[in-house]
Amino acid sequence: MNNIIQAEIPEQLCQQAELLIQQGWASNLQEIINDALRRYLESHQELLTEAFIQEDVEWGLRGND
Amino acid sequence: MTNKTLVVADAGVLIHLDELGALDVLRNYEAVFVPNAVWVEVLHHRPQALKNDSIALIHVSDVSYSPKVTAMARLFTLHSGEYEALNVCLDQEIDTLLTDDTAARLAANNLNIKVHGTLGLLIRAVRCDLRSPDNILQLLADIPKKTTLHIRPQLLISVIEQVKQEWLNNK
Repeated sequence: MNNIIQAEIPEQLCQQAELLIQQGWASNLQEIINDALRRYLESHQELLTEAFIQEDVEWGLRGND
Repeated sequence: MTNKTLVVADAGVLIHLDELGALDVLRNYEAVFVPNAVWVEVLHHRPQALKNDSIALIHVSDVSYSPKVTAMARLFTLHSGEYEALNVCLDQEIDTLLTDDTAARLAANNLNIKVHGTLGLLIRAVRCDLRSPDNILQLLADIPKKTTLHIRPQLLISVIEQVKQEWLNNK
């Protein structure tokens, strides 16, 4: 099942996306938005964020710089 | 060769520390390099952070771009500030980036750049005798209500407990 979301996207981003589509790097805007969201979610996983915070706390407590 | 007393800052850390009135925890760094895209972002959201006299902010208006960073930026969908910050790290041979963004941390790790965030910097302030443990515990507790830094409440509680225990044991 797909959800329909309404969002405002800056003009410049839209133009860049359209250019990619025209050049054949993507089929349509939908594909680009899905891919961008997927990549964002992959690089902002909760476990990863928490691991980084824990590392930071350890450095704060016991680092040498 | 790298200079350990220099750091590059992303917008989040400067904004979050200023929201807590704690930018001075950066004062024992010789200089904090702020790339132009970060400068513009902070100017937009928290201009007073750039007027803090206790820290040496250096506005880097001319950034050289590395193909390595460009590849990382695409891979991790970095924003322009994070992208410029990583480029300044490589260009100026600075081995530490200050950021709270997970994707920027991932990219920095891949470029062998050390990363520290708001929480680590606050806790470090006690180690460096810049702030008292009680003061930092209060600032950590203030994060949800005073800042735009998002952290899972239970994780923040566990961090506060952890550092409180550590400092109590070291008394």
